[in-house]
Amino acid sequence: MNPVTADPAGWVRVAALADLAEGAAFAAKLGNRPIALYRLAGQIHALDDVCTHALALLSQGFIEDGAVECPLHGARFDIATGRCLAPPASVDLRTYAVRVADDEVYVRAPA
Amino acid sequence: MFLRNYWYVAASAADIGRKPLGRVILNEPIVFFRTEDGTPVAFEDRCAHRHLPLSMGKLVGDRLQCHYHGLQYDRTGRCVRIPGQEQIPPDAKVKTYPVVERHRWLWIWMGDPALADPATITDFHWLDDAAWGAKSSYLYVKANWQLIVDNLLDLTHLAFVHETTIGNSALAEHASVKVTRAPNNVVVTRWIVDQPAPPTFVKVGGFTGNVDRWQIIDFTPPAFLRLDVGATPTGTGAPQGTRVGGISMRNLNAITPETEKTSHYFWGQAHDFDVTNAALTQKIFEQIETAFHEDVAVFTAQQRNLDLIPDPPQVDINADTGVIQARRILDRLHGEEQAALHATAAE
Repeated sequence: MNPVTADPAGWVRVAALADLAEGAAFAAKLGNRPIALYRLAGQIHALDDVCTHALALLSQGFIEDGAVECPLHGARFDIATGRCLAPPASVDLRTYAVRVADDEVYVRAPA
Repeated sequence: MFLRNYWYVAASAADIGRKPLGRVILNEPIVFFRTEDGTPVAFEDRCAHRHLPLSMGKLVGDRLQCHYHGLQYDRTGRCVRIPGQEQIPPDAKVKTYPVVERHRWLWIWMGDPALADPATITDFHWLDDAAWGAKSSYLYVKANWQLIVDNLLDLTHLAFVHETTIGNSALAEHASVKVTRAPNNVVVTRWIVDQPAPPTFVKVGGFTGNVDRWQIIDFTPPAFLRLDVGATPTGTGAPQGTRVGGISMRNLNAITPETEKTSHYFWGQAHDFDVTNAALTQKIFEQIETAFHEDVAVFTAQQRNLDLIPDPPQVDINADTGVIQARRILDRLHGEEQAALHATAAE
């Protein structure tokens, strides 16, 4: 397992700000956990990258209207909240707090 | 499942001549020939009298004469001669199809003739554009047409099926893939950066070091796949949009269903370097042809299993994104065509 290097407050660097293009997803790892970073209207969101339905990577999906659509079976999730919006998935995505400092992107796992 | 209101490739234009050619397309038997002035004609390959394929007959001037009892049909599909009788029954006629010759292929409209607009023929100009060297060919495939579409939308298979020609392990393991979609279009873009070139690229491109390789797959319904593929020496800027010092090719595919279980597979390969070098065109063609025969073996074996186990469960993997998006478009278009047919029938 890759070590997760967190500062005392629990923040982990996962990407450079320059990696994140507006309207696009960026696949990152929090330790061994695949997460997806999204930059929408300048705001950065971090969510689990693995679809809760059948394990597809959502960062390879389609971003439309503030939601990401699973590339394989069409489940949709709200990028800001992780809420599942459309079947075949029914479980929401875990979200992560995001902080940007010195052009680096940090996330913090939920306690 | 077939889509009807589309232009399909029916044949290589060179294969249509004064000897009638019979070919089944979308389950419909069709005969092709040229009139004396060279105009291509397509009509139903079934005599209105006793159903013999008219392609077994012969041309008498511009009339196609049935091999069985000698009925003759003019280019509009109307019977104009019945040996031994003067009266021609009004039903003695066969259905005709709009056809257009373009890019060295003969195209046929399989839907409502009133909707046939040649402007909607998919662009394959690379096959007859002086700026490109190109050669095209045909494969008969004993498999459903959608298996071929799937194959071309997920090129990770090159690493396994085509490791002696156009594939290597870098394709599956070190690629970045992006799928974009529009209502009737899917584009799969794959970049393999700073990796060894596959055998075919070394042979025709002379690469000695690592390359930046691209595969940009453009799908349009029902079954047209135009691939922009190539490589340049790594670090020369291809991913940023500058292609220098490498090779660029188009792999062009037009699949026409014959039946639900068999397909006509028209394909060509075009290259934008040393375009008048016929030996090079041939060498590239042979490399791709070798690979395509490997694909046909895969399709045939898949179809064997689908015949034994119809509609089996299947697992989707990340590489299927383009495949799934294309199938979704095809399902939607099929639903729309069926709904329109039913609406017309209900009028």
